[in-house]
Amino acid sequence: MIEVSNLTKTYGKKRGIDRLSFTIGDGEIVGFLGPNGAGKSTTMNIITGYLSASSGAARIGGIDVLEDPIAAKKQIGYLPEQPPLYLDMTVEEYLDFIFDLKAVRELKRRDHVMEICELVGLKDQYKRVIRNLSKGYKQRVGMAQALIGNPEVLILDEPTVGLDPKQIIEIRNVIKNLGKNRTIILSTHILQEVSAICERVLVINNGQIVADDKPENLSARITGERKLSVRVAGPQDMVRKILRSIDGVQFADVTVQAEKGSYDFLVEAKPNVDIRKPMFIALAKAGYPILQLKSMDLSLEDIFLSLVEEKKRQRNPQNKAPRKLSADTALNVSGGEPASGDDEQGKEADD
Amino acid sequence: MSAIYKRDLRAYFTSPVGYVFIAAFVFVMNLVFYIQNMMTAQNRLTTVFSVMFYALIVLAPVLTMRTFSEEYKQKTDQLLLTAPVKPAGIVMGKFLAAYTVYVISLALLLIQVIIIAAVSTPNGAIIFGNYIALLAVGAVFIAIGTFVSSLTENQLVANIATLAINVFLFLMDYAYSLINLTWLKRILYWISIFRRYNTFYVGVFSVADFFFYLCAAAVFLFLTVRVLEKKRWS
Repeated sequence: MIEVSNLTKTYGKKRGIDRLSFTIGDGEIVGFLGPNGAGKSTTMNIITGYLSASSGAARIGGIDVLEDPIAAKKQIGYLPEQPPLYLDMTVEEYLDFIFDLKAVRELKRRDHVMEICELVGLKDQYKRVIRNLSKGYKQRVGMAQALIGNPEVLILDEPTVGLDPKQIIEIRNVIKNLGKNRTIILSTHILQEVSAICERVLVINNGQIVADDKPENLSARITGERKLSVRVAGPQDMVRKILRSIDGVQFADVTVQAEKGSYDFLVEAKPNVDIRKPMFIALAKAGYPILQLKSMDLSLEDIFLSLVEEKKRQRNPQNKAPRKLSADTALNVSGGEPASGDDEQGKEADD
Repeated sequence: MSAIYKRDLRAYFTSPVGYVFIAAFVFVMNLVFYIQNMMTAQNRLTTVFSVMFYALIVLAPVLTMRTFSEEYKQKTDQLLLTAPVKPAGIVMGKFLAAYTVYVISLALLLIQVIIIAAVSTPNGAIIFGNYIALLAVGAVFIAIGTFVSSLTENQLVANIATLAINVFLFLMDYAYSLINLTWLKRILYWISIFRRYNTFYVGVFSVADFFFYLCAAAVFLFLTVRVLEKKRWS
């Protein structure tokens, strides 16, 4: 459905994106994952025809965006990073305008607009002026706008930014539902969002694709269940001794005293060994209950570091620099909270 | 195009801009009419027309300052430029919306014509010629303003820059009488917007001058389309 080949965009001397190539099939939900300034928005703006690439081509359903922009744009619903809303209009007037702007002929206006409002949860706000809506509702109006005309391709730039946790879950469900019969690209810098919605993820950093995989493979590729944070009730030294004696454990040590009489341990397994079961049995036998067991999710930064390094190593195999992951994650643990997706989400909600 | 036209026209009347423009236009119009026609009991409307012509220098920028600047500021240009609409359609929709507001205020001038016609027999040719001229000149000023607005996301900058261009065009006519260089004189003579108005002023419908105004408007609208297209390459 979407074909991007050798897309490059330069701003003066700086390269926004650098020879980006990928293909997205019909009905796929693909996540663009990357830090701010990685080139996610630029790529989306090129696919939607808002910007032109310095070189390379983007095709939607076989139509080149530059050669036949009208036909290409007809197939796309786009929600930019900042929803393009006319604040002085009501939701009704705005969506009617979009309906006219996209020159939708084959659908009945009233039914179509109402159906979309129902889908994104805007029915009660239908008559309100957009200026007076909360940020979450504005985002929904932006989403509704993209959906008008039932485009086959949806391009959503950070659709959950600025929403509260409840709204985030709702919008994610909306996207999942939409994805049943559409091709969707969405961008995010939240790792968890990708695993929650997408079937495939393109990790973009510095304008280049550093990984293209299923979300579950991606995290497995980097950590698997190798690093665990365990909270055990029992004397520090004894528990450490037991943990270290388990077959397959590479590293185990206390990170912090959690509650009275219990400690948090960082346990690292050897590659391709699942130590959770033996650990449970060993500790249970000794009479030290596990109060909490968490697999250490990596933060986005960790993933980038390791993926970028992985890529470097693929290019020059003689350079076998070890990954520095354990040190980074250990730091996070001693800080109290693991840098997981939930954590990021919490920050989002604070905004 | 029609969707953008409708939305923009509506936006003129959900914000103060449309009302302010029409109110100012009508105010100046009636003031001149009162002084020139009522107080002196004259039936010649030409002064009213020519004053409106000069009033446009100041008023037209008010009408056009938002056209694109507001879209840039709210990032709604992203919506228009990713919708299945040609840039030319966007520009024409916006231009025609502004022009419609202008035509509405010009239509209010008919009231004076009716008043004059009720008490005397005015010269129909002169009124007709002046009307056509004002319609044509308005298109030029609005096209200039639309073009300038497409260059900046700041409404105030758009307004003042348009005003500056209009004043410059006006001053060019003065320069004409002060300059001795024949070739420069010839150029100034040719591109002067204000000189061409004089033929209409006396009631002569000059096809060449009318055509000049249409071309001038078309040039600025074309430039606006180019600005929109160029934005993608920035």
